[in-house]
Amino acid sequence: MANKLEVRNLRISFRTVSGKLQAVRDISFDLKDGETLAIVGESGSGKSVTSKAILGILAGNAIIDGGEIIYDGRDLLKIPEDEFYKIRGDKIAMIFQDPLSSLNPIMRIGKQLTEAMILKGKARQKSCRKAFNDYLALLEKAMIRSVAKNDPAKAKSISEKCRNFNTFEITHLKLETAYNNATNNANEAIAEIENALFLIEKNAFKDDKNIIKNICDLSLGTINDFVVKEDAEHLHGLVSDLKKSVSVAAKTKNYDDMTSYLKGIDAILKKALEKEMPNFFSMGYYNTFSGEALPSLPVPELNKFLRKYLDDNYMLEFIDGVKIALKDSAEEHLVKKEQVVKELNASLPVYSGDEYVRSEIDALTDKLVKIVHESIDPMEINKDSAAHTFESSLRSAIAVYFNGEKRNVIETKRYDRQKASYDKKAAKAGGELSWKVTPAAIVDLQLAKENICKIITRLCEHYEEQIAQKDQRNYDDEAVAVIDYLKFNASGFANKVTRRMAKLRALKLMEEVGIPEPRKRYKQYPFEFSGGMRQRIVIAIALAANPDILICDEPTTALDVTIQAQILELINKLKKERNLSIIFITHDLGVVANMADKIAVMYAGKIVEYGTSRDVFYSPAHPYTWALLSSMPDLDTNEKLEAIPGTPPNMIYPPVGDAFAERNKFALKIDFEKQPPMFRISDTHSAATWLLHPDAPHVDPPKIVTERIARSKKNAGGANNE
Amino acid sequence: MSENNQANKPNDDNVLLRVENLSQHFGDLKAVDNISFDIKKGEVFGLVGESGCGKTTTGRSIIKLYNITSGSIYFKGKRIGAGTLSYKNAIKDAKKKFKEDIDALNNGNDPEKNEKAAKLKEDLKHFIAEQKKQIASAKYDNSHVDKDLITQIQMIFQDPIASLDPRMTVREIISEGLVIKGVKDKKEIDEKVYQVLETVGLVREHAGRYPHEFSGGQRQRIGVARSVIMRPELIIADEPVSALDVSIQAQVINLLNDLRHDLGITILFVAHDLSVVKYFSDRIGVMYFGKMVELADSDELFRHPLHPYTRSLLSAIPLPDPDYEKNRKRLTYVPLRDHDYSVEQPTFREVAHNHFVLCSDSEEAKYKEIIGG
Repeated sequence: MANKLEVRNLRISFRTVSGKLQAVRDISFDLKDGETLAIVGESGSGKSVTSKAILGILAGNAIIDGGEIIYDGRDLLKIPEDEFYKIRGDKIAMIFQDPLSSLNPIMRIGKQLTEAMILKGKARQKSCRKAFNDYLALLEKAMIRSVAKNDPAKAKSISEKCRNFNTFEITHLKLETAYNNATNNANEAIAEIENALFLIEKNAFKDDKNIIKNICDLSLGTINDFVVKEDAEHLHGLVSDLKKSVSVAAKTKNYDDMTSYLKGIDAILKKALEKEMPNFFSMGYYNTFSGEALPSLPVPELNKFLRKYLDDNYMLEFIDGVKIALKDSAEEHLVKKEQVVKELNASLPVYSGDEYVRSEIDALTDKLVKIVHESIDPMEINKDSAAHTFESSLRSAIAVYFNGEKRNVIETKRYDRQKASYDKKAAKAGGELSWKVTPAAIVDLQLAKENICKIITRLCEHYEEQIAQKDQRNYDDEAVAVIDYLKFNASGFANKVTRRMAKLRALKLMEEVGIPEPRKRYKQYPFEFSGGMRQRIVIAIALAANPDILICDEPTTALDVTIQAQILELINKLKKERNLSIIFITHDLGVVANMADKIAVMYAGKIVEYGTSRDVFYSPAHPYTWALLSSMPDLDTNEKLEAIPGTPPNMIYPPVGDAFAERNKFALKIDFEKQPPMFRISDTHSAATWLLHPDAPHVDPPKIVTERIARSKKNAGGANNE
Repeated sequence: MSENNQANKPNDDNVLLRVENLSQHFGDLKAVDNISFDIKKGEVFGLVGESGCGKTTTGRSIIKLYNITSGSIYFKGKRIGAGTLSYKNAIKDAKKKFKEDIDALNNGNDPEKNEKAAKLKEDLKHFIAEQKKQIASAKYDNSHVDKDLITQIQMIFQDPIASLDPRMTVREIISEGLVIKGVKDKKEIDEKVYQVLETVGLVREHAGRYPHEFSGGQRQRIGVARSVIMRPELIIADEPVSALDVSIQAQVINLLNDLRHDLGITILFVAHDLSVVKYFSDRIGVMYFGKMVELADSDELFRHPLHPYTRSLLSAIPLPDPDYEKNRKRLTYVPLRDHDYSVEQPTFREVAHNHFVLCSDSEEAKYKEIIGG
């Protein structure tokens, strides 16, 4: 599974009146494709801040002290705001905690659902047009260069081919859009007919001309390109008969004729819907360039015929050209990459050297950045995230070092000065004073250097891997992927999202998230919905743009047990259907057992335990996880709950050692002095506590936790035996 | 009228609060519809149900934040709240029946027609007079409640942020009840405030601070202190932990548990988190759309949930156990599918010792079989 999102060494703090509050302190995690990661922690532990950083909606007083959030080859912390427009809501969407305050009370539900679709539709059209044109131009150049090397005469035909691709692609999309509209019309008409038949059967049909008119309009709207010719004539006849029958039926109260007409239309539409879909891509080519009418064949044979026509006249050659161009470009850049690996390795001693000279480092960095930039293959469709983020990560890591070098001197001076005055006053007063000197915030320069080297070695390893695998690349597949990419972008700019289309999509979404009678609900206001229904609407809005990643920020905290269970089931269902990656934020460990593949337990801005859901629930290792588990009762709990004493520390003055030490009854002496590193327990499981150090005394989790684990293991065993 | 006129129930020593046929209607909305239960001295009575089912309204009706529509509430044997709708309805029904009877008489050929009519009229008059007396008594009881008695019921609210006045210091918030009650001695008030602060796990120094200086858990402790200072016998805790983090929840639950053991306070615990309710309560009442559908000892309720709604609630509880969660099957409750009440309306009856369910005859038989088996 590929990583969808990578968060590395993220640090965020907030400027407040009383000082700099460190909300997130160096956290790293990966989110894999189709996986749910749960982030669990108390309020103030930095879990919401993390998710807001991913979505780029941090409050104005937030400072990003360092780190990277890598999505699709870009570092989300460093891209400009108008780049972010294309990601926020479109690729990464969020469900907020309170469904009451995240919906607009004076806008109808339908409008709120379609608002984003229409706005995003325009933006997407623009960006797709740019991507399509840019890539096609690039492809043309590369193809001409590669092909012309062997056969200069072919250059002209290639540029013509590229231009042709542009033309017939548009025709293809027009055809396909018309077809989709017809399908939608047919589906709607069938639903309306069902409704009308139902009313007639129940003798509740109120001679409503609007229903019939609607059915007639919808049915006629399906005739182009969709219904076969003979059927089309039949349909015309039925519709006009139906129109006439309305007034007759109103007088006689005899609906038999009307029923039979409706059933006739229904049958034709259903038959048409079952028909195989023609290949519009090749049809677009045929229509544009053959200059002849389409042969009237059944759809499967028509598809074969069109496919052959396209392949013979155009596609095989085009794909061949793309293949050669891709291969040339990749090989050319591989050579450059080998060069880059050499240069990077050569530069490592400088970066890990004792003394940094500003000008030297800057020059070297500029040089490295330049050659890495040149080594990126522009023909790649899937962006190589390690190479793309190299510049921003390296530069910011170096900035951390130099800023730290400067700040450290100032900080030490300040601390010495204040300490001296404190000592003086304390000596005068005899004993300790009620205030303390803020300790100097020293940047660990050695660590900063290591981080810089890490960035370089990471890219090195990545490139070496690519070079080693160069023989296994399949350029046939890649060429096809390029065509698909072009098709996808072309459809993006040809498909205009109209209000009607947005409405149809919104209705489908509402059905998908389990809202009964979507047509009626579409026109209502949020106050007419119950809490659970409102949360469903919020989920539907989040899904409107078909995102890759869904961030759920305490989506069920404001809801009841039953509704909570429904919403969790819904999120799980959607995850499976749409292959979503989910980040699920909550303070309630009970909720995530059902949801999460992986769990990150956060405390005071750090991840203290990270593992699969089974790891964390069945063999928890950090005392904070123990405390969380033992502070919540389950149905078999009778003993006194082990509440966590006290409150989380004030993060303006983060504690020197383990932040949880103050509230931890298992705390060791070293916990107050030094922060524990992440100890690996297994491949998937790690925790930051000194208790895992080989020299630490053996400590068992609290009884309430061990007993519960034993009980659930026993239950599971019992269930298996049965 | 004298004190003796208050309608008093024969006092069962063990019962602290008795709710009889309580209904609370807001216009057409029947928020609470004809529910009855007792709370015994020293126990924790849990009230669960989804939002909008009337559990909060029940709590607020008991503490007289609303004028109840119908039914009676007895605290320590004295009626502290009463509604009149049931009497009014009785009069209406009697009048209707009288009219029907008279019509039947007039149409018939009974020789003693006039005598019978006169008797019916006499009966009706009598009945109406009786009901009017009841109404008067209910109205009197409702408005003449012993102040000392009613202060023995106190409430803890759900939202620890919204329920504390941001412009009052903790001392003012906690002592407000005492001041209203007429205590004037500043020293005595301070002493009591300090004492109660320590009881709930805060320190003296906190008395001078404002609510915004406290964390969520501490604020809820202030809410508890405010109610404890009046030396209540009954505390109505309206979702006291649902707005808190899990770790802080445990602190507040432990605190309430200590208070209950140390001070012998009885608690009506309203919540929607079943794990917490199960852990904390001795008896549990389950409410659904204004009706009490099941009431039993907490262990019994979880061992033998009878009403389909209770079962669906229990099946929705999330547990910290991934393997169990993967296989959990949630039951849904659809009233129209799960019950057939076309023949007879359900009533609230005892199907086993201390286990009450809202059911019809056939269902009662079914439930008894489940418990027996």
